[in-house]
Amino acid sequence: MTLLDERALAERLAGVTRPAPKAATVVSVVTLLALLVLGIWSFTGLGFSLTSIIDSLDNIPQFVARTVPFAWPGWHWDRDSATLVSDGWAPVAEFIGAIFMTLGIVIAGTFLAFLVSIPIAYGAARNTTPNPTVMVICRALGIIARAIPAVAFASIFVFLFALGPLPGVLAFFFHSIGMISKMMADAIEQIDEGPRLAIRSTGGSKAQEFWSGVVPQALPAWIAVGLHRADINLRETVILGYVGVAGLGLELSNSIHALNYRRAFPLAITIIVLCILFEIVSSMVRSRLLGVRPTGKGIGDTLVRAAARRSPRFAASIEKPDVTTDRAAAIQAAMNRPWTGERLASRIAIWVAVVVVVGSFVAAQARWTDLFTFWGNLPILLDKDHLWPPTFGIYTNEQVFQAILVTFQVAFAATLMSAILSIIVGSFAARNVAPNRYVRNGFRGLLLVIRGVPELILAILFVIVTGLGAQAGTLALAIGGVGLLGKLIADSLEEVPNGPERAITAVGGTRTQRYFASTLPMSIPAFVGHLLYLLEQNVRAATLLGIVGGGGIGLYLYDSLRVSKYDQVTAFLLLIIVLVLIIEGIAVFIRKALK
Amino acid sequence: MTVSGTSVVEITDLGKQYPGADDPALSGVSLTVDRGEVVVLLGLSGSGKSTLLRHIDGLELPTSGSVRALDQDVPSLRGRELRTLRGRIGFIFQQFEIVGPLTVLENVLTGALSRIRGPRVGVWSYSRELRLKALAHLDRVGLLERAYQRADTLSGGQQQRVAIARALMQDPEILLADEPVASLDPESSGQVMALIREIAAERGLTVVCSLHQVDLALGWGDRIVGLRAGKVVLDVSTDGLSRDQVMEIYGRVATSTSELQVIEQELSEVRDAMLSEELQKQTRDEDAR
Repeated sequence: MTLLDERALAERLAGVTRPAPKAATVVSVVTLLALLVLGIWSFTGLGFSLTSIIDSLDNIPQFVARTVPFAWPGWHWDRDSATLVSDGWAPVAEFIGAIFMTLGIVIAGTFLAFLVSIPIAYGAARNTTPNPTVMVICRALGIIARAIPAVAFASIFVFLFALGPLPGVLAFFFHSIGMISKMMADAIEQIDEGPRLAIRSTGGSKAQEFWSGVVPQALPAWIAVGLHRADINLRETVILGYVGVAGLGLELSNSIHALNYRRAFPLAITIIVLCILFEIVSSMVRSRLLGVRPTGKGIGDTLVRAAARRSPRFAASIEKPDVTTDRAAAIQAAMNRPWTGERLASRIAIWVAVVVVVGSFVAAQARWTDLFTFWGNLPILLDKDHLWPPTFGIYTNEQVFQAILVTFQVAFAATLMSAILSIIVGSFAARNVAPNRYVRNGFRGLLLVIRGVPELILAILFVIVTGLGAQAGTLALAIGGVGLLGKLIADSLEEVPNGPERAITAVGGTRTQRYFASTLPMSIPAFVGHLLYLLEQNVRAATLLGIVGGGGIGLYLYDSLRVSKYDQVTAFLLLIIVLVLIIEGIAVFIRKALK
Repeated sequence: MTVSGTSVVEITDLGKQYPGADDPALSGVSLTVDRGEVVVLLGLSGSGKSTLLRHIDGLELPTSGSVRALDQDVPSLRGRELRTLRGRIGFIFQQFEIVGPLTVLENVLTGALSRIRGPRVGVWSYSRELRLKALAHLDRVGLLERAYQRADTLSGGQQQRVAIARALMQDPEILLADEPVASLDPESSGQVMALIREIAAERGLTVVCSLHQVDLALGWGDRIVGLRAGKVVLDVSTDGLSRDQVMEIYGRVATSTSELQVIEQELSEVRDAMLSEELQKQTRDEDAR
C-alpha cells in the first residue's frame, strides 16, 4: 500500500463517526469501575495487608492447642489430665434437643410467615389487589419487614418475652413476611389469567376465583419460596443465638464467650452440616415442585408398585375398572378416586409436611402463652431510657461515623474479593468453559459446599482463628460471596447463546480464545447485575457482622444490647435499616438505568 | 325464570371503545337471539366477536347502548346478582382456560361455584351430589376415565371438552363459545363442534358461537351474524341458504373469497413480522442484560 493510499484511508477513517455508547453500557462500565475503586479503597482503609494476615497465622498453633481435640456433647476437657472425660448421655440428649429446637424455631417461624403472607400477597399483587391503596399498604408492609433484620426483631422480642425460643420464632415470622409476601405476589402476577376469567364467567366470587383459579397455579412457587426462606432462616439462627434466642446458636455463643473452643467447634460443625442437609432437602423438593414431572421411576410410583405386589385388593383398586356399558354404574364407581401412584405420593407428601410443621411447633418448645401476657412489658418498653428516644449514648458521632465507614469498607472489599475469585471458580463451573465435565462438576460441588456454610459461622471461625476483627469479617463475606456469585456467574455463562461460540470454534479458535472472544463478553451485563445483588447482600451482612466480632456498626448494637441500653439499640437498629435502604435504593436505581 | 317473549339476548346499539384505541371495538351493534337458537358470529380476528360475547356475560362494560341477557340489564348488575346471571350463562374460551394443576374433576366442579357460597379447595370440599353430577357430565363428554388426572396432562381437544363439561355444570340456559376450536387440530375441531351442537340439541340450549371459518359456520349454525370492524354487516338464517347467498356471505364478511384469502395472508404476514420483531427485541434485551 502506498503512502497516498494510507493517507486517503486515514482521512476516510477520520470521517467515520463513532456512535455514542448506549446508556446501559455506560452505566455498567461506571458501576464496575466504581466497585473496583471503592473495593481497593476499602482494602487499604481496612488495613488489609499480607503481613497482617501472615502475622495472624502465628495464632494458629496456639489456637489448635486450645481447640483440638473437640469436646463433642457428652464429653468435657479435663485440664489436669489433658484428656476428654465422658459426661454420660444426658448432655447428648440435650444437644439433640437443641438441634430440634433450632429446626423447630426456623420452621414454625417461616410457616407462620407463610400463612400471613398469603393475604398480604393477595393485596400486593397487581392482578388480585382489591384497590391501589391496599396494594401500596401491602407492598409497604413487605418492604418494612424486609428492611428490619431478623436479629433486630429478635433483640426487641427478647426484651418483651425474655430469653427462649419464642423471640426467635417471632423474629423469623416478622422478617420473613417481607421476602415471602413479595415473592408470593410475584408468583401471583405470573399466573395465566385465563382460568381466573373462566371461573369469573361461571359466576364465581372473588374469593372463589382466588382459591380455585389463582392458588392452584401459584401454590408450587409459593411452597418453593417458603422452603427457600426456611433455608435462609436456618443460617440466621446463629446470630439470633448471640442476642439470646435459644437453640444451637445460643450454645455456640455461650461456648465462644466462655472461650471454650473445644465445645464451640463441634457446635459450629453441627450447624454447618445441618445447613447443608437442609439446603439439599429443600432444593430437591423445590426442583420437584417447579416443573419436574414424576417419571414413573420416582419414589411414589415405586411405593405403589411395591404395595400392589403385597396386596391383591390394592392391586385391584389401581387396575382400570372394566369398561361397563352401564353408565350409572361407571359414574358411581368413579366417585371413589383410585389409588394411583400420583395420589399416594401426594398424600404421603402432604402428611410428611403436616408432621414436620406440627412437629416444629412442638420442638420449638416455646412458651406460646407468653404471646398473650407480654402486654405487661409494653409500658416499660416505652418508658424513658428504654426504647425511645433513640440515642447513640456513650458513643460519639465520630465513632459512629467511623463504624459506618468500616461497615461499608467491609462490604466493598468483600465484594471485590468475591468478584475476582468468582470469575475464576464460576468459569470453571460452567459447562461451556470447563475443559471436561469432571472439572465442571468438581467446581459446582465446591460452590455448593461454600453456599451451604453460613457466612456468620465463617466469620465467627475467622475471628477466633486470626484474632482479627474487620479483616476476618471481610474474609468471611468474601468466601461466602464466592458461593453465591460463583454460581450466578456459572449459570449466566452457561446461558450465553451458543451460536457465536460455535462460530469462534469454526474459525479455528482455541477454547481459551473462545472464552475471551465470546462467552465472557456476552455475560458481562448479567455479571453487573449479580455483582450489585452481592453488594446488597454484603452490606446487609456487614451491618450485623459486628455482633460476632467482625467489625462495623453491629458491634455497637451488640454492646448496647448486652448492657440493656435499649434506647441505643433503637438508634443503631434505625441506623442499620437506613443503611440497608440506602444501598437498596442505589441498587434499584442502577438496575433501572441498566435496562 | 321470567323471560319476556322468546328472546334471551337483546343487544341494542352497543358501542365499546377501549381507552387508547383509535377505532371503537364495537359500534352500533344490535342483536336479538331467541331461545333455542344456534347463532354463529362470523368475522375475521379483530372484528369484535369476542368483545361482543364478553358483553353478554358481563365480562366487559359497554361504552354505550344496552345489553340484556335472560331479561336482565347486564351492565347494571353487581356482586351476587351478576354472579347468578353468569352462572346461568356458560362460556367456552378459545384457550380452554382450565386450571392446569387441578384435577379434571375439580375443574368441572368449579362450574358450580356460582351456586355455592365460599371458596372451595379440593374435590372433597364439594358435595356428593355435585361430584356425581360432575362425573356424569364428564361421562357425557367422554372423559370419565380421566376424572382424577391433572388437567394439564390432557390434549387440547380433551381440555376443551373438560371446559364444555364445566359449562354444563352450570346448567346454563345460554352457551357462549368464543372461537372454541381455533386452537385445535381439524379432527378435534370436528369432535368439539359436533359435541356442542349435540348438547345444545339435547338441552334446548341457546348457543352463540364465534368462528372465523365460513365453511364451518355454514354447516353448523341456524343463523349467521357477520361482523366487520365492530359493525354487524350480515344477519341471515342458514336454512335453505342458496349458493348465491353463500357467495353473498363471503362477499359481506370480506368482498370476495380471494380477498378473504388476501386479508388472511396479510394478517399472517403482519403476525410473522411482529413475531420476528419481538424475537429480535427479546434477543437484544437478553444481550443487554
